[in-house]
Amino acid sequence: MNLPTVQFTKEQELFREEVRTFLQQELQKGTFQTKCDSWLSGSDPAFSRIIAEQGWIGMTWPKEYGGAERSSIDRYILTEEFLAIGAPVAAHWFADRQTGPLLLRFGTDYQKNFFLPKIVKGECFFAIGLSEPNSGSDLASVKTKAEKVEGGWIVNGAKTWTSNAQDAHYMVTLVRTEPVTEKKHQGLSQLIINLKSEGVTITPIRYLTGEHHFNDVFFDNVFVPDEMVVGTLGNGWAQGLAELAYERSGPERILSTFPLLNEAMEELKRQQDIEGLAQISKLVAELWSLRNLSIGVAKVLEEGGEVGVSAALVKSVGTKFEQKIPEIVRLLLDVYPQLHADRAVDRYLAESTLHAPGFTIRGGTSEVLYGIIAKGVLAG
Amino acid sequence: MSEMKDMIIEVVERIFKEKVEKETVDLLEANQWAEDVWQLILENEIHQVAVKEENGGAGGDYEDLFHLYRLVGKYAVPIPFVEHTLANLILEFININPHTELSTVHLAAKPLELTAGKVSGSLDHVPWARYAQKLVTLATEKGTQSLIVVDLKEAHIENHTNLAAEPRDSLQFTDGKILASHPLTEEQHEFLTKLQTAATVSKMAGAIDRAYELSVQFSKEREQFGRPIHRFQLVQQHLAVLAGEQAISAAALENSIALLQKGEAGDEIAFARLKLDDASRIVATSAHQVHAAIGVTHEHRLHHYTRRLWAWRDEDFHEKYWKKQLAKNWLNSSNTIWDVLTKKKQVEHI
Repeated sequence: MNLPTVQFTKEQELFREEVRTFLQQELQKGTFQTKCDSWLSGSDPAFSRIIAEQGWIGMTWPKEYGGAERSSIDRYILTEEFLAIGAPVAAHWFADRQTGPLLLRFGTDYQKNFFLPKIVKGECFFAIGLSEPNSGSDLASVKTKAEKVEGGWIVNGAKTWTSNAQDAHYMVTLVRTEPVTEKKHQGLSQLIINLKSEGVTITPIRYLTGEHHFNDVFFDNVFVPDEMVVGTLGNGWAQGLAELAYERSGPERILSTFPLLNEAMEELKRQQDIEGLAQISKLVAELWSLRNLSIGVAKVLEEGGEVGVSAALVKSVGTKFEQKIPEIVRLLLDVYPQLHADRAVDRYLAESTLHAPGFTIRGGTSEVLYGIIAKGVLAG
Repeated sequence: MSEMKDMIIEVVERIFKEKVEKETVDLLEANQWAEDVWQLILENEIHQVAVKEENGGAGGDYEDLFHLYRLVGKYAVPIPFVEHTLANLILEFININPHTELSTVHLAAKPLELTAGKVSGSLDHVPWARYAQKLVTLATEKGTQSLIVVDLKEAHIENHTNLAAEPRDSLQFTDGKILASHPLTEEQHEFLTKLQTAATVSKMAGAIDRAYELSVQFSKEREQFGRPIHRFQLVQQHLAVLAGEQAISAAALENSIALLQKGEAGDEIAFARLKLDDASRIVATSAHQVHAAIGVTHEHRLHHYTRRLWAWRDEDFHEKYWKKQLAKNWLNSSNTIWDVLTKKKQVEHI
């Protein structure tokens, strides 16, 4: 597989500089604290509104919906800078990454006009409702059911591992709108459910760190109006697959533990540990290599190319790399991992270690991804 | 990127595909090489691709040349193409006309000693020296490092080979006459190490391309338990790993030579080299596991690629060298590693 190389333009370099300077200032002001895996675990609605004020949510979207019609490479630069500094961007992350593009592609005019401007302003956050207690990797086996009633649908069932449902206003929910047949990928639809609706219960599932970013979401006779069906009824599976390329190939699949790598290197420099720097250079080389791949996929995506297999590839290799960083760093420095340690490197190590097992599970387990890649390779 | 690239790549790949059979690569084991393929290269002037037009070449660029090196790796072509063309590229870099006689180059070694135009000392692992007429290498005189050209008739040559049976000879010079010398600045020396490294990376990426392709093909053809082995999930996992390393290696190569072409190659050449070192190990391991017993024999061609990967990863400016260089570059730098990765520089405001 050969992906294109991307050379950033001068304007893009300037934009990166602008974002970096802004984030460093906010960090110094104490607006946020650097954290590993902040794109998933760092939900801060107030910070998201600050980002919105900069025009940095939905920046690639059409101007009529409040976007700035910037390129997806610009957005790539922006998200990279968020991840590198470990900024708390989880609140708006899913709407910016997935829901916006989904609605732009499949949504009705009403949905686009109603949701997109609110998302852009940082006033409307989304969760993605896919997994269920008995449907994980075998996602097409979802059982949450929507039954047709006058003017809408009545939803019953449960979603689980829903990131950030506690701060989200809406959830794009994969539900069964037709009875199961032999072809279980058919008869699924995507409904936008208002999480404040009657009959919705959200309960936290605490992560290994003790933090709350996963949830169980229960639906007990929840009414969803007809205008909240996304795209074509029964086409939910295909629509959902289209989102996955964005979800799997982005910089968040290689940079989740980057703040630890960065801090470890600064520490090695302070200690004038040339041997340690030599050892850690392997990780930097690997990151550089993965980043080329991830940016290459972003470029193909922007040009409308097919990236299902290469996105699976970025995620499977990239997440393994994210897991490797804490394992190497702990051998190069005197460390003691603690979530509330004073020393940044100890804190980031604790976060990285405890978050690491999730990297190769969320968004498609590595085992499922290997299957997708092998299938693509054998067909090619 | 040069417009000629696609055409040249296509022509050369066709030549290699047609002419480089398994037996051709095996010639090295019998102390021979593919002289007929080399003749075709000369007749088609492929060796002149990156030579400047005023020196009789085709005026191609680094990218063209390094893509050809990738093909040399991909087909394990037993000819001194990389060595000869790299020697000439380096000669042009110091404004010496390129050689028509077969030349080789060796930079990653303790320099020879130069005294009043005569050179002494020994060099090990010099590629293709026994067949070449000229050698481009380094020598020092009173602490000054120079690039020198020497006729290989001046050397006592002992034949040796690397893990893949490629010629890697030991040379001994005693007051050998040199043909040319050119003092090198630190910067120039660093640039040459990058050129040499990019060449090795290109060959390695090519060998990885092929080891990956062979594995996919074999997994479709080989049947066990009544079905092709690619149907087994654990074999699929190997294929996925191989696909990943191939894609990453290709991207590392493309990105590093694009930077080299633009004159902006910093630490990236080292990054590519370090990554390819890892990829070589992972690819060789998984490719052999997919091929099982037949892959560890001389009868199957897989070893042409895995043995080369194992040999090349320890040749020239290797992982250990670059790790040390990177550490030195970073030790007292005020740039963070994110600045390095994103090539932070003073951008002019527009």
